[in-house]
Amino acid sequence: MKKAIVIGLDGFEPKIAEALMARGELPNLMKIREQGGYSRLKTTASAQTPVAWSTFSTGTNPGGHGIFDFLTRDTKTYLPIMALSRYEQKNAFVLPKVVNMRRGTPFWDLLSAEDIESTIIRVPCAYPPDKVKGRMLSGVGVPDLRGGFGTPTFYSTRAIHSTEQSEKVIAVSVEDGRVATHVIGPRDSKTKSDHKFDINIEIRKTETKIIITSQGQPDKLEVGLGKWSKWLKVKFKVGIMQSVSGIVRFNLRQIEPDFELYASPVNFDTEEPLFPISSPQEYAHDLAMKIGRYYTAGMAEDHDGLNNERFDESAYLDQCRIVLRERRKMMEYELGRFEKGFFFCLFDTPDRLAHMFWRFTEPNHPANRGEDVSRYAKVIEEHYRECDGIVGEAMKYADNDTLFAVLSDHGMNSFQRGLNVNTWLYQNGFLALKSGFKPGESGGFFQNVDWDKTKAFAMGLGCIFLNMKGREANGIVNVEEAEKVREGIVSGLTGLVDEARSAVAVRGVGRREQMYSGPYANEAPDLLVNFSEGYRVSWDTPLGGAPQGLFADNVKKWGGDHVIDPALSSGVLFMNKKFSAEAPGLVDLAPTILNALGVQKGAEMEGSDLFS
Amino acid sequence: MKILVLNLQGAKRAMLFGDERLENLRRLMDMGCFGELEGDPLEWNVLARHENHTLTQNEFVVQAGKDFAAFDDFTPLQTKLESGMWDCCQLDASFLTGGGSADPYLDFDRSLGDTLQHLNDDTLLAVIGENCFVLVAPNNPITGYQDGSTLDLTPTILELAGYPLPSAVEGKSWVAGMELKSASGLTEEEEAMLRERLSGLGYI
Repeated sequence: MKKAIVIGLDGFEPKIAEALMARGELPNLMKIREQGGYSRLKTTASAQTPVAWSTFSTGTNPGGHGIFDFLTRDTKTYLPIMALSRYEQKNAFVLPKVVNMRRGTPFWDLLSAEDIESTIIRVPCAYPPDKVKGRMLSGVGVPDLRGGFGTPTFYSTRAIHSTEQSEKVIAVSVEDGRVATHVIGPRDSKTKSDHKFDINIEIRKTETKIIITSQGQPDKLEVGLGKWSKWLKVKFKVGIMQSVSGIVRFNLRQIEPDFELYASPVNFDTEEPLFPISSPQEYAHDLAMKIGRYYTAGMAEDHDGLNNERFDESAYLDQCRIVLRERRKMMEYELGRFEKGFFFCLFDTPDRLAHMFWRFTEPNHPANRGEDVSRYAKVIEEHYRECDGIVGEAMKYADNDTLFAVLSDHGMNSFQRGLNVNTWLYQNGFLALKSGFKPGESGGFFQNVDWDKTKAFAMGLGCIFLNMKGREANGIVNVEEAEKVREGIVSGLTGLVDEARSAVAVRGVGRREQMYSGPYANEAPDLLVNFSEGYRVSWDTPLGGAPQGLFADNVKKWGGDHVIDPALSSGVLFMNKKFSAEAPGLVDLAPTILNALGVQKGAEMEGSDLFS
Repeated sequence: MKILVLNLQGAKRAMLFGDERLENLRRLMDMGCFGELEGDPLEWNVLARHENHTLTQNEFVVQAGKDFAAFDDFTPLQTKLESGMWDCCQLDASFLTGGGSADPYLDFDRSLGDTLQHLNDDTLLAVIGENCFVLVAPNNPITGYQDGSTLDLTPTILELAGYPLPSAVEGKSWVAGMELKSASGLTEEEEAMLRERLSGLGYI
């Protein structure tokens, strides 16, 4: 075939899609199903965006690409760190270089080698971007200007003591209808202080808006009450001689009695990104010249703003629409000039939206706390219909000589209860706290953990690592002892009952060698906890916390999740040609797409061509 | 500490310090110290004057039993640096004629960027223009703006690089008055920063 067009819908849940199709909704996806076929799509262990899309890219299990979770641990310090990329500096005189930790060979490398062009928009775990023949824009994995997954700022005249780590709060005061404040930029590694970009805010009460004046672009930016502003390009002086650019959007929450303003995480500027986010490097800017500035951060949707209750659902929905509109413009612009080869565009919004709106579909969700949920009960379904519309738009560019596929990396489920995995490890003698400390008295980052007596610890979204001698800094578990420790954890956690609900919370625990094979399998967690529907690791677990009690209600607005037993978290696959494989998986997509474009699958690829 | 001197004869301060396109040079200026020099620009490498002889920086280094090599082109210089078998290197490039380049300053910055790839941290790098300089030594971090005499440069470079200075030198080393930064391990604040960076993930 001449073309392969693949539309990614992150976290698109088969149960919802199937129910909608049974009612005759999602007409475009139904049309593809009739033309070709539809199936649930097997995801990866664990069922997470970076892990799953890396398997899509490389056609290998995670042991072949080295991404097992958003997070991993630093074996020297036990601290959780980002697993998707790392910074390497050849010497102190040169800038650090970003290195992608997704390894293996993505299938577009094989296409490039055969001189076949690809257009790849926002594929996760391609930061820095792969050098592809054609063009690529990086997606999940691109940080904000502070180097994290995204830190928003909240300005308020109220005295707010924020306990949230995922935001910055600035106390401001209004004088003569004006507020003088700043946008927070990158942290200076030498002075340990934040770089600042000054802004002056003029409040126009009668017009219910503010004007932000600055040295940025534009020099005057209007923000209406309750509205998202356009982009403001800001410049931080990071030295006497150097500056770094970024782009930021605002949402005005309140003018009186209190003045409250939200600023998005500062995204890399499309024109002068701090580190490359596209291949070729100028592509990010060329694209912005065609469709306007756009979110560059991997996590474009401002879920933190809603989770921290700095704005409400309606503002979050508006912001999701902006992201979706941007992405759709990218897709339409590129499909408009797409003639042959491979095209991919990922829409992250179905995932980010369902995380935040899932609770409205379950009146008994602990996060609702008596709130009337009817107002937003249908938001996810409405969004699925919108996604169907996007699919319909993309279908216009497919002809008889085109493989057209729509897929998701995993599904979406309920997250009502969280398990404190480190607390379970403590109660069962696998994790020790320093003398005098009990669970609940230690913060995150394994504070007060006694490593000399700890055999295993949990971090990330279900990972358990043994404290192995010779591997972890203060490892105590010998190779001979390791299996006994693992067996103890597996048998103890499997079938674990949440007494308060009389429900089984943990369906099983996967062992490394059962789940992973390949050159990077030795980097994988030793065990992976597979949760039942409605459960997940608790909020404290990913960063190494051990709170009191085994289970906790999830009262956060982030009320849906998918990091459960992968067998319960399949994605969807629609293709416009009949396919016959019994249980297709993400691992099969690379060989299928390669074959459709007349290129042989790579030697390491494990999946099969779904059309054979 | 190794010493690398990039001697840019006739390179103007206004261009070196003012041209925003010179990304590599600007980064070095932020990392280290830079400033203006008074005096004869050709005398920057004078360490001491004796009756019949002027002792230069290079001679002094050789007398100290170290290896010195001079270059007039970046390519052989980079090969030498890459080998790791060197103590003190100097590149002499003339900006007086422009060297046939339409944009010699930008060309220099690009070559500088390539050259930096071949260094190790235990190096003192000096970029010397006409009455101006930039000094960077990651293992002996020096910062800020510094004015002085052309003759101060050599004693400063040698002292920063760890050479004991002879008693009678022409200029005056600035090292005593310089702010030397120190490195530190993972502080509480860095831990907070790490937490902030990861928290934005949403899942945690």
